[in-house]
Amino acid sequence: MADKPVYEEASIDGQPSKLASIPASDTTVWADASPLLQAACAGLRDGELIHGDNFNLFAAMSALEIMDPKMDSGIVCTYYSIDEAIENGAAPIPISLDSTIDVCRTIDIMDHLLACEAAWHKGHSLAQTVFSCIYLLRLDRTAPHALLHSYCRIIRATCKAVVSVVSDARTHEEEDLFTLTYGLPLNGDGDDKCLSILNAVEETISRQLRACKATSSKRRLPEDLEPLQSNPNLEEGFCKALLCRLRFRKHFFHVLSCMKRPQGRGLESARKHIASCLTELESILKSADFLRSCFDESCEGDIDDKTTASGFEPIGFDAMLNSRLSAPTPPRAIKILSWKKAVEYFVKLLHDLDVICSYSLDPHLESLLRFVVQFQKSQPDLVARSHLQLLLVQDGKLYGRDPFFAVINKAAALPEATKNHDIQKNESFLQLGMLVMNLLKILCTNAAWQRRKLGKFLQDWRVIYVQLELAFRNEYGEVSSSSNDENTCMKIFQHILLWVEEQTFWIAFRFLILGFELELYSTGEYCMVYWYLYAVLIKLAEKTHLMMAVSHDTAKRKGKKKKDSPKDLARESRIPPAVLFLQCYICLAEGLTMMLAALRNEIPVFHGPSPFNTEHEKFVQHFELLQRACIPDHVSYLSYKESTTHARFSTLAMYNYFKDAQRIAKEVKSSFSNDPERLAELRKLEQVAEHNSVAQNVICRLGALDPSLKVSFEFSHHPFFATVVVKRS
Amino acid sequence: MEQEVGESLIQLGNSDGSNSSSSDPVTRVRKLLFRRMLVGIKDGRFFLGTFHCLDKQGNIILQDTIEYRSTRRSSPSPMEQRCLGLVLIPSSCQNSCHVDCSVEEQLSLLKAKMI
Repeated sequence: MADKPVYEEASIDGQPSKLASIPASDTTVWADASPLLQAACAGLRDGELIHGDNFNLFAAMSALEIMDPKMDSGIVCTYYSIDEAIENGAAPIPISLDSTIDVCRTIDIMDHLLACEAAWHKGHSLAQTVFSCIYLLRLDRTAPHALLHSYCRIIRATCKAVVSVVSDARTHEEEDLFTLTYGLPLNGDGDDKCLSILNAVEETISRQLRACKATSSKRRLPEDLEPLQSNPNLEEGFCKALLCRLRFRKHFFHVLSCMKRPQGRGLESARKHIASCLTELESILKSADFLRSCFDESCEGDIDDKTTASGFEPIGFDAMLNSRLSAPTPPRAIKILSWKKAVEYFVKLLHDLDVICSYSLDPHLESLLRFVVQFQKSQPDLVARSHLQLLLVQDGKLYGRDPFFAVINKAAALPEATKNHDIQKNESFLQLGMLVMNLLKILCTNAAWQRRKLGKFLQDWRVIYVQLELAFRNEYGEVSSSSNDENTCMKIFQHILLWVEEQTFWIAFRFLILGFELELYSTGEYCMVYWYLYAVLIKLAEKTHLMMAVSHDTAKRKGKKKKDSPKDLARESRIPPAVLFLQCYICLAEGLTMMLAALRNEIPVFHGPSPFNTEHEKFVQHFELLQRACIPDHVSYLSYKESTTHARFSTLAMYNYFKDAQRIAKEVKSSFSNDPERLAELRKLEQVAEHNSVAQNVICRLGALDPSLKVSFEFSHHPFFATVVVKRS
Repeated sequence: MEQEVGESLIQLGNSDGSNSSSSDPVTRVRKLLFRRMLVGIKDGRFFLGTFHCLDKQGNIILQDTIEYRSTRRSSPSPMEQRCLGLVLIPSSCQNSCHVDCSVEEQLSLLKAKMI
């Protein structure tokens, strides 16, 4: 019995030994089935298949088609493997025997790696970007080349640190390419020493720079130092170009290490390193002129598209070599960012990280939420957002420092003493803490993912409210107790219940306005969206007002007992500025709802949604998650129709909500003189109110009479309140 | 030797003494379903999987496929392998096709030939 396949000498594909290395099994051999298959094919009818019972045509369509470049990542291209590529000189060490060219090409590699790194951050796979570098894939062989070796080491360590931050944050669900390393060599022995290795190289080049400057000023050299490269005219330029690149990497690595320190202890140091990074990036940009001019030959093509400062293609990169390490199917072809755009990306990233590092770790949840919302307005990328999330939520505590019950305690305007109350061990309160933690994590994700999560989250907040209310009723019923501790517990429940409601409406509000940012609403749906926004805002304002009244009471009780001065009484009866702020939103929402309703009712061409879905269906589609969570209660399509059916130009003319909004915005500005963010928002609201007020007047006067009137909606002044533009067509 | 075994496969149906009219190639290939099949393609790679489907054009679908390829252009060289799952190999890129065959089958085929 043969236990080896028979075909040692058989000529198959002219590669006799190949088949032998794929053994059949101990008791089987490979028999040529081609003639039989050919005969069978001839015997099949058109469209007939030979298949077994488990065959499913639909499933079969998911089969990878071999030799299709979009599906087959194993197609042999230039080299069969990384080792073959190296053997054929694809990544030479040294890069060139001419030290000038060697230095120049090394800088090109450094620049291309920066571009790859930026492309990776932006959402492409590590294998196609940073690890398309053959030198990185076999890092140990770069040891004889100190410059390349130290640079590759720190890149590897940096990538590992970034992967770890993003993995820990787990905010990357939609960008999951990021953390999948598919067995790429990210873990290197001795990478923790990468900084000292880099420092040594930096030191050498610094001395070389000093030496060449000394030579040019005819001073004596303090030591015998070999120059960086062989052309004395280019020595200074190359030294400087290398130094800023090495220093940037060093400081960037420090930024990551500092920001990783718990409880934000490293934030101040991180800011210093960020400033250094930005300085070095500027020097890197300036070095481009020198690098482009140092050789007579100029590169072809548009310099702005190139991935290196010099404009030359870098040596030692091949994205295809790694394609087998990626998922079974080849990744989509990607374009590495241009070098200029890569530098711009890092500048933005550093600015975003700086904003995070400047944050004061405010223990007040309300200000924290506003900070996160404001931060997100600059559209930070994944790496920045992950850092923010890790700063906010560590070890199940806020900033790794404040337990969430204490945070909620403060937010619900409870006295400081209750933050250690035993009631926090109650199951419902524990869950509430988790909800707050998750809310912070969700607010750090990208807009699309965030909206989806917030929508589903509403249900959880509603449930916790119901649970807490039930627990409250069970404990205390309707009777007010006399015991002190029971009084405290009651108070905790009451405050927190109110606070939960306020938070829930805030989440609903955020859910609705993100729809504008993501352009999820068509113009025909604006009316119902603004109407729902109005309904949610009314409740939010109500709860906020109640919350403030309750917190004022707490503050009063904390203060000494003294007679209220007339000024205090007056202040109490005024509506707090935060509520007025919301009132401004409410007026704008109401104004837009009524205007859109009137337009729809009076002008036929404005008739709502498309013929494919009824308005009711659209309503349900958009607000299903809110309706299911009863946010707000007693709000339905019917109530929407009731509110808007009778809107007409004549009714519109009777009341101008936009004028109200303008007035409130002006009034409340003085209360926010220390808050530049809210002042800016109020200015935008004023502009929208002003424009819309004018537009409303025009429409009311001419709308029904002038059929050529064209009404459109633009978000030119405010991200979610539309400015109405009226034109004659 | 290989040619004869190949031809014997065509006559596979005869070994159990059934009617020659029922041993048409289509039926015989049906009997090969779920057997391990090794398909070589023009760029030198091999795909080993269970035979799942064949169509009139000669395109083959394999299940639980493993891809074998050499790490150097020139042989001899070590082989790399990786798992791919369900794979469709168009007839245009096929170079060879072998089926896992027990030695008894092979021996019985030889016997049949000798008769």
